[in-house]
Amino acid sequence: MSDKKKVRIAFFDFADCEGCQLQLTYLNLNFLGLLEHCEIVNFREAMSEASDEYDLVFVEGSIMRPHDEERVKKIRSIAKILVAYGACACTGGVNGLRRRFTDDEAKEIVYKDRPWTIEAGWPRPVHEVVKVDYYIHGCPTNNDETVKAVKSILLGKGYTPPDYSVCIECKFKENVCLFEKGQVCMGPVTRAGCGAWCTSSLNTCYGCRGLLSNPAEEGHMEILAKHGYTIDTLKQKFDLYNMCRLEAEKNG
Amino acid sequence: MCSADRINPLSELVAVDPLYSPMEGTILKTKQMTAHEKFFEIRLEGGKELGHLPGQFVIFSLFGIGEAPISVSSSPTKKDKSTFEVVTRKVGVFTAAMHKLEPGDKIGVRGPFGRPFPIDDLKGNDLLFVAGGLGIVPLRSLIQFVMDKRRDFGEVTILLGCREPKDRLFTNEIEEWGRMTDINYACTVDRADPEWKGNVGVITTLIPGVDIDLKRTYAVVVGPPIMYKFVIAELLKKGLSGDQIVISLERRMKCGLGKCGHCQINGKYTCQDGPTFIYSELKTLEEAL
Amino acid sequence: MRYVYLAKSDLDALIQHLKKSHRVIAPVKKENLFILAEVQGAGEIALKYIPTILPPKKYFFPPVEKLGSFKMGDEKMNSVNMETQPTVLFGLHTCDIDGIECLETVFHYHPADPYYKKRRKSLVLIGYECMFPCDEYATCVTMDTHNPKAGYDIMITDAGDKYIIHMNSEIGEKLIGTCLAVSRTGNDADIKFELRRLREEKIKKFKTILDTEYTEIHDLFKQSYKAPAWKDVGKRCVSCGNCTTVCPTCYCFDIQDEVELNMETGERKRIWDSCQLEEFATVAGGENFREERSERQRHRYYRKFCYSIDKYNKFFCTGCGRCTRACVADIKLYETLNQLKKETNNV
Repeated sequence: MSDKKKVRIAFFDFADCEGCQLQLTYLNLNFLGLLEHCEIVNFREAMSEASDEYDLVFVEGSIMRPHDEERVKKIRSIAKILVAYGACACTGGVNGLRRRFTDDEAKEIVYKDRPWTIEAGWPRPVHEVVKVDYYIHGCPTNNDETVKAVKSILLGKGYTPPDYSVCIECKFKENVCLFEKGQVCMGPVTRAGCGAWCTSSLNTCYGCRGLLSNPAEEGHMEILAKHGYTIDTLKQKFDLYNMCRLEAEKNG
Repeated sequence: MCSADRINPLSELVAVDPLYSPMEGTILKTKQMTAHEKFFEIRLEGGKELGHLPGQFVIFSLFGIGEAPISVSSSPTKKDKSTFEVVTRKVGVFTAAMHKLEPGDKIGVRGPFGRPFPIDDLKGNDLLFVAGGLGIVPLRSLIQFVMDKRRDFGEVTILLGCREPKDRLFTNEIEEWGRMTDINYACTVDRADPEWKGNVGVITTLIPGVDIDLKRTYAVVVGPPIMYKFVIAELLKKGLSGDQIVISLERRMKCGLGKCGHCQINGKYTCQDGPTFIYSELKTLEEAL
Repeated sequence: MRYVYLAKSDLDALIQHLKKSHRVIAPVKKENLFILAEVQGAGEIALKYIPTILPPKKYFFPPVEKLGSFKMGDEKMNSVNMETQPTVLFGLHTCDIDGIECLETVFHYHPADPYYKKRRKSLVLIGYECMFPCDEYATCVTMDTHNPKAGYDIMITDAGDKYIIHMNSEIGEKLIGTCLAVSRTGNDADIKFELRRLREEKIKKFKTILDTEYTEIHDLFKQSYKAPAWKDVGKRCVSCGNCTTVCPTCYCFDIQDEVELNMETGERKRIWDSCQLEEFATVAGGENFREERSERQRHRYYRKFCYSIDKYNKFFCTGCGRCTRACVADIKLYETLNQLKKETNNV
């Protein structure tokens, strides 16, 4: 493979914590394996060089401000394949919660009496601004899935994340169901692909990978309500990572 | 030696079973038939005969991409027995990869699978072929079979329907069928283009005009799911019984061996019990149509 | 002799004996539930347990099974290594043994599955008879799987102060035959009588929670295809797939290729799939032949109680209750069946 032309990969981040890029530095041997086929030409977390030709672009973060919009459009125009990488890029992530508030409300909450010096913008997942070819979900992304997705993209067949629930992967691991333990879990309506990462690590599923394409929201609300949660808590559970989508659906 | 090469003393090398292991096929000829459909002529290793009957399908394999079930479009009576033909529509990851293949390229083949058209029942009878869209692809295998054994069958009528004239497959063959005196043939399109001089309308509009001998006619219908209900209703109206209507159904398939469950229609496995069905068999299969 | 005794204090001696030639898998506690896992001694085994999260099928038909390996660009698949370490599955409930019988039926049905056949050969089944119903969700009494009948190599029954061991196959006899821990003081006829008496007592503790008899279930389903119950179940179902993953008789799978990082070699695998998932019956063109949750749930039930009878003359529900326990939406199998019964009575 080494004589073949390597795929030029670039990473760009927008409104996010860069945690998903940081994940990649944990790839270790897998990372070296990928480097057999790829050349990373822009990656702020690990190097500083920049280039302007990209076969495969990973966009991390949500698109907030007008100049972010311009920037991502420019990136799209020079990217052969664009991958939304991480929850902020795929679903708007927790940034989506900003949509609950008007500018004034947000200002009041964040800055109170201090002067508002930073332009806040309106959070959007990448696909609300430019065309996205593939999605790698998660907050943060899961390296096993990232490697799988990159291999699949390199093979030319693209990558479609699973459209079934986290429960499938959780049951494969024979975890005791969190509902069984009286805890609340977004697993049943959340897209799998993480290998039930959190629920296998004594945590609960927050739904960071976004809802399934056809989630049984009502059924799930009913389940959560049965476990004693109020409508407000339920809404917060769903909103945490899905605010942008749920809002878009509400507005038709 | 890397860890993967180390042999676990408690494990056994399991020979790959032919059930799951593809045979090697070589693509001899391809032809882009329409914007989305491509024709392939394929030869198995050593010119081995596929050994299929009309109505059966194969599962193609491209390592790294996966597998996909595809109907065989040529007849086993074809002169050159060392090859078979298929037509695929580019609709998913697999067919997209397959469409990139050109003569000389290789492809894995499993099969043939499934229950063929009931040829013994059809013999000696009049045949009414109704093909909608891609339905002509599996039906062509049977039509060619009948043409090659013309004396074994009675009157033959072919009704073809597709969306637009440019979607028609096997245009040359179809025109030849049209010229033949010993078959009746009609074609219709849902939407005409300026050059189109034929019928316009859905395929059911052709049925009332067909003259059939109810006592000795079998209708063989293949098309998209939406078509069956209407065509079958029209055929029943015409006076055919459920035993005289043969159809072929499409379902998702993975194994081809009646195990993986994807192709189930109620209790039947399409890959083994189908894909061809007699309409009267479907009365208890609510999920069929 | 096919029946022997084992002192309760000698259970570990039996396990140690089995371990000489076999890996021993048994139910062990996991938080408040149970799983089947490898054990080193009797102390780790939870003999009193409700059905494990995953059924024993994971050893017969693993969640991910390699079908073969390949080189990119090749057409023919190469062999793969399959773990075939001689293994004892110890302490299986009779419902799970029935579940294995179901898998047996499917995978041996023509064309028989080569991978299953290979795996099956290395597995020895040692049952542990349930003397009490495990919880309120099991329907084993109606499904007639609460007593040992067939399909096991060895069955262990708690006879109060000791265990009775029944060797039901040549493999079973061979394994116990060399075990010094068992006592061969009884004779088969006496022990059989003792077992019958124990079972007469035991059955008093088992109550059915279904309104339908075993013999009526198939007919009930023949009449229930359009029952309102399916809409109700469909409304509550969230398609998480738990019910099929934990089912001892569900065997649907997907086939996927996985390529190594070198992008030159890879493996073709089959992976458990579920008819409850959105894309299960969707063809490449986009048509989904079981779009509604109600249709998918109905399909699951029919595969257990109707289609399996039509095709294999066997119910594919063992009454283990796993689907009911694992359902996050509280869909209870016995409630559904009781509702169907009520609805057909009203027609």
